[in-house]
Amino acid sequence: MHGIAALQAYVIGPLLLWAAMAKLLGRRARASAEQSALARLAGPGRAVHAYRLTGVLELAVAAALLAPPALPVDGLAAAALSAGFLAYLTYARVAAPASSCGCLGGHARPADPRAFARAGLLFVMSLAVIGAGPLTVTPPLAALGLAEAAVLVGLSAELDRYWLTPLRRLVVRLRGPLAAPPPGEVPLEVTLRLLYLSPAYCSASARLSSDVQDTWDEDGLRFVVYAAQGRIAVFAVPLAGGDPSAVRVALIDEPVPA
Amino acid sequence: MTSRRQLLRSAVLGGGAGVLAATTMGSLGPEAAFGAAAPGIEPGTPDPNFAEGRIRDIKGNTLFVLGSNMVFHSIRVVDGTSLWKLGPVSFEQARPGDGLYARGVRMPDGVLAAESVWLNIINIKGHIRNITSDKIHLDHNGKEVLCHLVPGTSVAVYSDAPPSADLSLLRVGQHVQVLGAWRPDTNEADIATVFSPH
Repeated sequence: MHGIAALQAYVIGPLLLWAAMAKLLGRRARASAEQSALARLAGPGRAVHAYRLTGVLELAVAAALLAPPALPVDGLAAAALSAGFLAYLTYARVAAPASSCGCLGGHARPADPRAFARAGLLFVMSLAVIGAGPLTVTPPLAALGLAEAAVLVGLSAELDRYWLTPLRRLVVRLRGPLAAPPPGEVPLEVTLRLLYLSPAYCSASARLSSDVQDTWDEDGLRFVVYAAQGRIAVFAVPLAGGDPSAVRVALIDEPVPA
Repeated sequence: MTSRRQLLRSAVLGGGAGVLAATTMGSLGPEAAFGAAAPGIEPGTPDPNFAEGRIRDIKGNTLFVLGSNMVFHSIRVVDGTSLWKLGPVSFEQARPGDGLYARGVRMPDGVLAAESVWLNIINIKGHIRNITSDKIHLDHNGKEVLCHLVPGTSVAVYSDAPPSADLSLLRVGQHVQVLGAWRPDTNEADIATVFSPH
């Protein structure tokens, strides 16, 4: 158990180091700060300073965790920082639900359950560090450390684009969930966009007073009917081909039912 | 319906033209052009000829709609009214609970005689979080909107190319704009058009 407790410092430490580097050195640090809930908490003018200060705190705690000797105060500092994260996330969720959390740098997603789970996990891991001694690395411990790091990465929405998005792209490429449909039926939207480009539509559009009233296909043409200020505009659009000038229009009075 | 369609068909095939001559549309004078365009609405006041909200009740040909600003609208749908619900639909497709935008002419009794009604229409931007069978999981401001592909209806517009029924070029992670029909009281929608920047 001592080994597991001592291991936590070396899992939390690199994560905090990464977060600190993103805040202090990130190219988009200023934009991230202003998009984050810190802008609401500290005021828009001070968001960047608060963001950098958080980065400095993270850097200090990371250094204390990673550098020997292992002292209880290291764990206390990490636990206090994690508790601060949790409180901040709760504040962000309540007061600025549309703001990003700004936790690991640039991304525009608001604080979600994963961010809470990560901060909670960090807190629990930090508590374990408090009573831990020096670490002796064994293969099972190394495997556990890697597994914990993988869980933390999995809970970090900021890192999704490095693994989750490529993974999903691969699955989409293999499975083809939106496979091309069999040719045949022409969606109405294809016809309408050709219609909008046509000189016939442009000459009549100012007088159209409704959206599409009726549409049907006949002899390779699609007929589209609009109301035109008490009259009717009928368009005949070729189903095949993409030449807008082939569209024909007639403006007529409402036919009297026979 | 068939005979009306035949009449309209013969009108456009018999006397139809590539463009309408300006005189077909009435006066060419500037007073007619500007007179028709002037909406006569004070800036900042609501357009009396427009209504939005959700359908509370349907009686006969009238929709009773509660606006998002808690204003009640009575909207009359007539034969010439166009209804859109992922495409042109008949009046029977309108259901209590549907979201609605309507444009028409306000009658003296306060009823809006609708020329066009759009049901559940949405137009949202976001990035594609995932793609599963016939569904796009759209991240819209941090909230997931499940967008369903409707075969024969949904199209994608890649950059400025003509629309295509093939949505398979969409990629996880890219930004898109989705025009579609919301499924009321869910976070799901049916896709009319997906606009992709590339």
